[in-house]
Amino acid sequence: MDSGFDFDVIQRSLPYLFKEGMTFTVTLTLLAMTGGIVFGTLLAMMRLSSVKPVSVLAGGYVNLMRSIPLVLVIFWFFFLVPYIGAWILREPNPVRVGTFWSALITFTMFEAAYYCEIMRAGIQSIPRGQVWSGYALGLNYWQTMAQIVLPQAFRNMLPVLLTQTIILFQDTSLVYVISATDFLGAASKIANRDYRLVEMYTFVAVVYFVISYGLSVLVKHLQERVAVIK
Amino acid sequence: MISLKNVSKWYGGFKVLSGCTTEVKKGDVVVVCGPSGSGKSTLIKCVNGLEPFQQGEITVDGISVGDPKTDLPRLRSRIGMVFQNFELFPHMTVTSNLTLAQVKVLGRSLDQATSKGLGLLERVGLTAHKDKYPGQLSGGQQQRVAIARALAMDPIAMLFDEPTSALDPEMINEVLDVMVALAKEGMTMMVVTHEMGFARKVAHRVIFMDGGEIIEDAAKDEFFGKPRSERAQQFLSKILQH
Amino acid sequence: MNYNWHWKVLLETEPGGTGTYLNYLIVGLGWTLATALAAWVIALAIGTLVGTLRTTPMKWAVRAGNLYVEIFRNVPLIVQMFLWFFVVPELLPRALGDWIKQMPPPWGSYVPAVLCLGIFTSVRVAEQVRAGIQSLPRGQRMAGTAMGLTQAQTYRYIILPQSFRIILPPLTSEFMNVIKNSSVALTIGLLELTGRARAMQEFSFRVFEAFATATVIYLLTNLVVVLLMRALEQKVRVPGLIAAGGAPQAGH
Repeated sequence: MDSGFDFDVIQRSLPYLFKEGMTFTVTLTLLAMTGGIVFGTLLAMMRLSSVKPVSVLAGGYVNLMRSIPLVLVIFWFFFLVPYIGAWILREPNPVRVGTFWSALITFTMFEAAYYCEIMRAGIQSIPRGQVWSGYALGLNYWQTMAQIVLPQAFRNMLPVLLTQTIILFQDTSLVYVISATDFLGAASKIANRDYRLVEMYTFVAVVYFVISYGLSVLVKHLQERVAVIK
Repeated sequence: MISLKNVSKWYGGFKVLSGCTTEVKKGDVVVVCGPSGSGKSTLIKCVNGLEPFQQGEITVDGISVGDPKTDLPRLRSRIGMVFQNFELFPHMTVTSNLTLAQVKVLGRSLDQATSKGLGLLERVGLTAHKDKYPGQLSGGQQQRVAIARALAMDPIAMLFDEPTSALDPEMINEVLDVMVALAKEGMTMMVVTHEMGFARKVAHRVIFMDGGEIIEDAAKDEFFGKPRSERAQQFLSKILQH
Repeated sequence: MNYNWHWKVLLETEPGGTGTYLNYLIVGLGWTLATALAAWVIALAIGTLVGTLRTTPMKWAVRAGNLYVEIFRNVPLIVQMFLWFFVVPELLPRALGDWIKQMPPPWGSYVPAVLCLGIFTSVRVAEQVRAGIQSLPRGQRMAGTAMGLTQAQTYRYIILPQSFRIILPPLTSEFMNVIKNSSVALTIGLLELTGRARAMQEFSFRVFEAFATATVIYLLTNLVVVLLMRALEQKVRVPGLIAAGGAPQAGH
């Protein structure tokens, strides 16, 4: 190594790294988590439906998303979303979509397949009697799901859902392949501009480690508390 | 009130109900008994459409249960059901359990629903527990809340699917007492149970099922005095030993 | 949608002159599999070791194993790739670092990719192995010791053979994950399947043909892997020994 470890470059870039990069990463994570869980729960209900075409469609989508690399899915949506936008807005040419929106749609649609499997297991773990007593009282399917089944399923699967979100948080770093300025992207820009790859990438690794590890410890605590209550 | 005509049901290739025909008139208390696997639970779940059936007809208060055009949720809201495993909603308080369906299905205001629910809670003797969660109650208490929950909908008939089978012996009586009081008030009841003491006290008729068929359907005194079928006799002798 | 499909592009020659685009992509599949298999060997070796160590009564081994798992589990794969590719050569002694940096492509990308992916995956394998071992009734271990077997022998002859059969299904999905994760190596210049699909898209402008073909190739590869694994499961099946169902795990 030529000069020593340059802590200064890290310190100088902190504002840029966190205000630009980390904000992108965290916003993307939170929005994709919300959208993914909502869409995933819907997919889970579709997979469990007794209407054959519905369950086959949902099952096909989930299996497709789980069979191909996330990088490929990112490329797909990066190019596909402008065309879909054009179709929706009835424009002749593909609509320009920024990297953030492309990434948001990608991660929501992709993670939904994983959240779906979690919620599906959660829904199936609720005893059938709960559904029966809901119906017996005169509640219809949607009311029974919304008031009785989903609240319990969600509560039961909360630790697994949160763990999946931590994985989502780490996965967002792949937006690098479409040159988005997330935390890694921002660090990469600095690294290449100032020729300080070792410092920047090491710093990125440390920050990701601290956040992910910290969150996983929180989830473990949550799991223990829930176990006690039950 | 409740009428079953030639009801048959299959699970895949297996026939679980065979040509069941019976009637429960308004104010009647009918007990359905029989060995495990006789189809009695399945039969009672067909009455409010929780289980579909392939053949025959079931009508409740003139409405056909099997007709695809029937508004099942609305019909079910008029029939109360109590389950073997209580099936209270564990994530809601006792009061919320009582008011949920009243508000969402009958459209009552939360205040109306709450006062109705609490009134019934008092009838079953559990007012002190109104803000507790089901997990904090004993089995007997949960089942009494379940009965109150069903009654809150002002049902025209009540169905009971082995209401005391999951209870410890010392709690069975507190639930049976509530059911006896209900019967004495003239509620139309169809009860699947092994509790013959209850049958002897308030039942008008007893139905004995075996292998998916109704073997005997007799007035109470006749059934306990001199059952006609061999299988019913065997069953009674085994069960009445305690 | 205003897109003109032109599937014939697959038969056109790619700019490098090596053959058709289809051929170009299939060579990419070759690199994907080469990376995945090499990484899988490393992952199995290290993962089995770490997973097994975490089930022993030796406290230091458990703690070391846990540390290893936590470090490599909490850093995203692409960041680990960058560390292996950009940072590790700088941290090694001068001579070794220079030798690595001078490795000609594709080896300059292949070796770090395999090491990175191997270690990354070894963590997941370690978790599966640990879960598999811990799912065995405690009596198995005691029976082994009671017969006079040492701890190592107990693991070798009794515990590990059973656990591996139990975890064969989740290990299959881990292998499919390795194949998918190999795509991240395109960021350090490895021209595996996804990287080549992207290159094909850039050269030919046939966006959806390129990515659709890559997608189909991945799906077919998955199918083959699943069928092979099922055959393997049948071969090592012991009548009466039921494999773990698998509670819903988070992850890819």
